[in-house]
Amino acid sequence: MHAKTTYIAQVLSISLIWIFVIAIAIWIINLLLISIELKDVPGASIGISIIVIPVFFVLAGILTYVFIGLHKEEKKIIKSSQE
Amino acid sequence: MPKWAMVIDLDKCTGCGDCMAACKLENNIAIVSPEEANVGRVMFWMDMITTYEGEYPNIKVKRIPKPCFHCDNPPCTRVCPVYATYKNDEGLVGQIYHRCIGCRYCMVACPYTAKVFNWYEPKWPDEFKSCLNPDVSLRMVGVVEKCSFCAHRLIKVKENADMEEREIYDGEYSPACGESCPTNAIYFGDIDNKESQVYKLSQSSRSYREMENLGTEPKVIYLSKRE
Amino acid sequence: MPKNKQLDFGQDAALYRPIYETGKGFYITVCVLLAVYLWALYLYITQVYYGLGVTGMNQPITWGFYIVNFVFFIGISHAGTLISAILRLSKAEWRRPITRMAEVITAIVLAIGGLHPILDLGRPDRMLNLLSDGRLQSPLLWDVTSITAYFTASTIYLYLPMIPDIAKLRDRGTKLKWFYNFLSWGWQGTAHQVKVLNRAINILMVMVIPIAISVHTVISYIFSMTLQPGWHSTIFGPYFVVGAIFSGIAALLIVMIVFRKVYHLEEYLKEIHFQYLSTLLLIMSLLWFYFTFSEFLTGIFGSQTHELHIIAYKFTGVYAPFFWGMVICNFVIPVIILSFKKFKTITGIMIVSISVVIGMWLERLNIVVPSLANPRMDLPLGIYIPSLVEWALFIGGIAVFMLGFTMFAKFFPLISIWEIEEGRKESIKDVEKRLRSYLPGKET
Repeated sequence: MHAKTTYIAQVLSISLIWIFVIAIAIWIINLLLISIELKDVPGASIGISIIVIPVFFVLAGILTYVFIGLHKEEKKIIKSSQE
Repeated sequence: MPKWAMVIDLDKCTGCGDCMAACKLENNIAIVSPEEANVGRVMFWMDMITTYEGEYPNIKVKRIPKPCFHCDNPPCTRVCPVYATYKNDEGLVGQIYHRCIGCRYCMVACPYTAKVFNWYEPKWPDEFKSCLNPDVSLRMVGVVEKCSFCAHRLIKVKENADMEEREIYDGEYSPACGESCPTNAIYFGDIDNKESQVYKLSQSSRSYREMENLGTEPKVIYLSKRE
Repeated sequence: MPKNKQLDFGQDAALYRPIYETGKGFYITVCVLLAVYLWALYLYITQVYYGLGVTGMNQPITWGFYIVNFVFFIGISHAGTLISAILRLSKAEWRRPITRMAEVITAIVLAIGGLHPILDLGRPDRMLNLLSDGRLQSPLLWDVTSITAYFTASTIYLYLPMIPDIAKLRDRGTKLKWFYNFLSWGWQGTAHQVKVLNRAINILMVMVIPIAISVHTVISYIFSMTLQPGWHSTIFGPYFVVGAIFSGIAALLIVMIVFRKVYHLEEYLKEIHFQYLSTLLLIMSLLWFYFTFSEFLTGIFGSQTHELHIIAYKFTGVYAPFFWGMVICNFVIPVIILSFKKFKTITGIMIVSISVVIGMWLERLNIVVPSLANPRMDLPLGIYIPSLVEWALFIGGIAVFMLGFTMFAKFFPLISIWEIEEGRKESIKDVEKRLRSYLPGKET
């Protein structure tokens, strides 16, 4: 039971980074749309968003990759010890 | 679209400072205490640059009125992080006080030091409070402000012209500084209109703009024989 | 060494001890730092209440200490992640006890530095305008995005290599078990887990380097994107990056020396680590001088009126003491002390590091203020005298850094335990193998 609450808390914390990254992407796209609407050098905004958005997603991706990688292994160990 | 511009004839200017006073009253610019003004927080939209040349008996004093130059290629609007300063189709560089976050990047970027900042909540003596101009919004603490070429007057002029179904005639729209000048040294009008006085004066051999090499294309043109 | 050993810490006792044994000194330090922080917070509240008038800024000099400290703190933050990433990437084995401290400096100082532009705002209540109406075209927004990216990357880069150590603390189980259990993500140290972690760290360290460089380049762009003389220069990007790494190494050395003393880490942070890092510091000092020299030579040789005004103001005007102080702190002292083996002791290195940190702060001051004090129009020279509020927020920022570092040291080991163990077990073999592969002849 205790292990399960910890696991849920961990999943929640990892989803926070995704909320953060998605919020940043939405923010940047919003600014991009404003600059297109106002014809306020949209080229610069497009250039920046093309670089920034993938960077944030890759960062969140790395964190999730480690999280999943570590937990798979832990489950295996618990299973084998139960058997 | 008209393109509003100002011509200041320095050969006619006596340096009396009437334009500064008229501007201050017209635009509800806060009155700063002398102590604050001495540390460089004085607020003028129309400033007066005073330079002294030569040694004591032969001093040459130069007085140059300096409003915001409403550059056609403004360095300030480019750096604003929140679109609080912008250039409109008629070439006026405006300031949105209610959006400004007070980062002062535009002041730093302006090569002409034309902008001022509200370091404290703006204050007026009691006598002034009853005669604030209702056409101009009051600023709040922590925002940047600057000369607007009296854009509120343009609105009125446009409304009048629309009502009478005619074009705005040359010289109808003039900011407070131009109107108050006792020697008529400040001209104002549409520089794209080849008939206007401002256009004709801007073609004079006496005309120059401040720091033309920067490519900011200021729309305030000085006339002077001296330079 | 305390005589009453209650807990058995095993081989790396010195690394565990600070986490489980709390002395009086810790509480005193925390209390003092908290008091300084609260004092600064109070003065900041007065600034929000009365307006920016409580600072020393004025009309031509519209940016002061806050922007200077912003650039300074962000510069310090390059200590960490960049250095540790470069050392990891170049497989420098002596990195093992250093990387963790460097990364912690980055994460904490970056958070402090990143908040400085908010201190500088006239209307902090309108911060959210950046979210709804921001202009990505403004260099300030480039900063917001790149600092956010760097902060995210460096916290992840701090956290991931810490997971095995957190698991070690969890397995001891005496303190905050649930907390370490939560943070350790089920680490058991199996071969697969090690592989996953190493792969992630490798990807991150490659990513972190360009992000870190972009951060300081973009900060220099705030200045160089304007037309102001003294700022409008293409050299500013690399110049700022070099300065940042320079001050970063100095800050790292100070922290290392202080915590080596306080936590008795002499076993881990040996003379050789300081020798290597200080050589790096010397190289950066020379590089910094080269950039400064070219920056001013182009200005003087081109001799544009306004550019010359500012250079004269720095060389001989009001700012001369700060300018020459900067040259002495950043170039003369480091080169003299670090070039001679006799002076290159721990004390000598400490003196150099402090002088470099002061010098780099002066450099930021020399960049920001003189350009603003000399307006291009024929206006009088500006005078800038920072007020108490600005000093308080500067000192407060340093206090928050120290507080953050002390608190971190209370909960996590300051030196990566598993990396040290890995070094003991595997690196010697690895390095030998690597060395053989460099040498001519067959690998065996």
